[in-house]
Amino acid sequence: MGVKATRTINSIVIVIILTIVALAVLYPLVYTVSSAFSPGNDISNMPLIPFGKGVTFDHFKTLFSGSYVRWFLNTLIIASFTSAGTLLVASMGAYVFSRFRFTFKKSMMMSMLILQIFPSFVGMVAIYVILYRIGGLDTLWGLVLVYLAGNIPYNTWLVKSYMDNIPKSLDEAARIDGANHFRIYGTIILPIAKPILIFLTVTSFTGPWMDYIFPKMVLRSDANMTLALGLFNFVTDRKNEFTNFAAGALLVAIPFVIFFIITQKMLVTSLGGAAVKE
Amino acid sequence: MEAAEGLSRKKVLGFSVVFMGLAHIALLKQYIKGALFALVEIVFLVFSPSIVRKLIDMMTLGDEKPDLPVTMRDNSVFMLIDGVMILAVVLIFAALYYISVRSALQEHERAQISGSFSKNTAVISNLSGNAFPIAALSPTLILVVFFVVVPLVFSALVAFTNYSTPDHIPPNKTVDWVGLENFIYLFGGDATWTGALLRVAVWTLCWALLATFTCYFGGMIMAVVLQESKLKIVPAFRSIFILPYAVPAVVTMLVWKNLLNGAFGTVNRTLIELGVINNAIPWLSDEWLAKFTTILINLWAGFPYFMLLVTGTMTAISADIYEAATIDGANKFQTFRHVTLPLVIYQTAPLIIMSFTHNINNFGAIFFLTGGNPVVADSTMTSAKGTDILVTWIYNLTVNLLKYNYASVLAVMIFVFLAPVAIFNFRRTKSYKEGEL
Repeated sequence: MGVKATRTINSIVIVIILTIVALAVLYPLVYTVSSAFSPGNDISNMPLIPFGKGVTFDHFKTLFSGSYVRWFLNTLIIASFTSAGTLLVASMGAYVFSRFRFTFKKSMMMSMLILQIFPSFVGMVAIYVILYRIGGLDTLWGLVLVYLAGNIPYNTWLVKSYMDNIPKSLDEAARIDGANHFRIYGTIILPIAKPILIFLTVTSFTGPWMDYIFPKMVLRSDANMTLALGLFNFVTDRKNEFTNFAAGALLVAIPFVIFFIITQKMLVTSLGGAAVKE
Repeated sequence: MEAAEGLSRKKVLGFSVVFMGLAHIALLKQYIKGALFALVEIVFLVFSPSIVRKLIDMMTLGDEKPDLPVTMRDNSVFMLIDGVMILAVVLIFAALYYISVRSALQEHERAQISGSFSKNTAVISNLSGNAFPIAALSPTLILVVFFVVVPLVFSALVAFTNYSTPDHIPPNKTVDWVGLENFIYLFGGDATWTGALLRVAVWTLCWALLATFTCYFGGMIMAVVLQESKLKIVPAFRSIFILPYAVPAVVTMLVWKNLLNGAFGTVNRTLIELGVINNAIPWLSDEWLAKFTTILINLWAGFPYFMLLVTGTMTAISADIYEAATIDGANKFQTFRHVTLPLVIYQTAPLIIMSFTHNINNFGAIFFLTGGNPVVADSTMTSAKGTDILVTWIYNLTVNLLKYNYASVLAVMIFVFLAPVAIFNFRRTKSYKEGEL
């Protein structure tokens, strides 16, 4: 057998493998999309061939005549405040850890590192009581506080490592020009650290959208429900409204996917080509 | 100007230890700094009676007072949480005390060298310089202490109490310290619970190893195949393969849960329709098959991350190395086996370890796909089901069974196991090695 023939066979085998994997990857996704537009209610009467029973927009109508918009707005509020808060608190903390020397700095950094390996819900009972004490139960801001605190250890580390790579000569030059710490932080460090800060803003914004445990614990009233709670309630052990779930999930997942595809390229290039080169 | 020579180090140390800020005011002429330190201690002393009372409450955890109405009885849980918070405040105070003593000694040393004390104006400008780091760090400290440290310490302490149904749930009843009783009970004291713990711990470890291993090598294989084949269609495949990474994991898991449903899930119905199988496959309702399914579905959701990572690492490997390998007569497989593979694994090792710790705690993958099901022999008693890992079991114990004490024992176990891993991983980081910390 000639070299060329071997190569062709290789290519065919590779394409077959890739196609099988691609089908496995696409199967549940295509199926979710098709369920969102298929007539019927639960998973048992969904067509086996996607879109096999025609197309309907009923499920979207059900969502919008229900509380979907309210869930969406609640989640948007929680995500925005969590993201903005994480950005502010973590970047300030990281700046101090990166640029100042003080007593207990090392032990503080070390404990933050160990703390971040725990999922926050391990301390669920105490968080519940503390929120109860400060009147944060069944409020959106209570949930924001929980997310914010949970985000800080890891993100402070992340931003601090990035800021360590920004040369200290820049700070010193500014200090000679008479700038104080606040100005150095705001006008020199933050703009250079922009790539990592964008990354942090994106990840802390997307986190709350699909979190289930804490909303379930903190929020009680229907008016404060979040998307994850609402969607999850469509497919419990007691009832199965898979089509409504699929429609709702689709509406959340589409912006996620688009956002991901856009930011992924930007993040990779900006993280790769660091802003400062010595 | 007063001379600073006569002042002994011992005297400064003595004064600063007796009362916060005393050395600054009486000996070092730093009135403002000294006054601020003194104020901290005065506030602390004013509140000390209630601090002591709260700490005593924490040690006793209250008494049973069955004759009082429920709302007025001692609530052990509140007492314990308040105690932990007070403990945090006391520790912060101790830290400030330590800082004040150090600051006095440093100022003394500085004065010995220069022969005179700092001027007050210099102290003020120094203070305003310090104001920024203090103000910038306090939100971090407050949030982390009260919403991360206190809750975690609380749940660690609960492991040493009897906080559980049916007899020790406040506010009706109180909770007591029981020492190591829960640990003894779970580690051999009770056959059913010990068996369940062993089963879940072993599965957690297998799950984390297999989940990490399959995703890593699955991602690597796809990265290599995509890299090696020069076909025009490759970029299209790459975009498809990234999709699972972009879709929120909860959605993925819930969709798969429905698709794999034994009786009316689409996968089984399709396979029966095609004539591949005659009877429904119990994807999620047979213990061992369910374990296999979770790992398989986790592979579906997790391989794109490692595919991206390995692709990035491979493109960073210098072309010279490959050239040298080709000159030495290595074929493609040998180059991969002896050049690419070791380099990529070495580069990505910290992320593999991180992924392993993430999988130990991967609540979402289990909870939303199987919910821990199927039920096994000891499930009604222990609430640990066939695919439950430690964290989902903690969730069941807390939310369904209200056995907070056992849940905390598990949390302590995870801590003892994972903390060394995290520290090990941290010691490999650049900032640690360069001594920047």
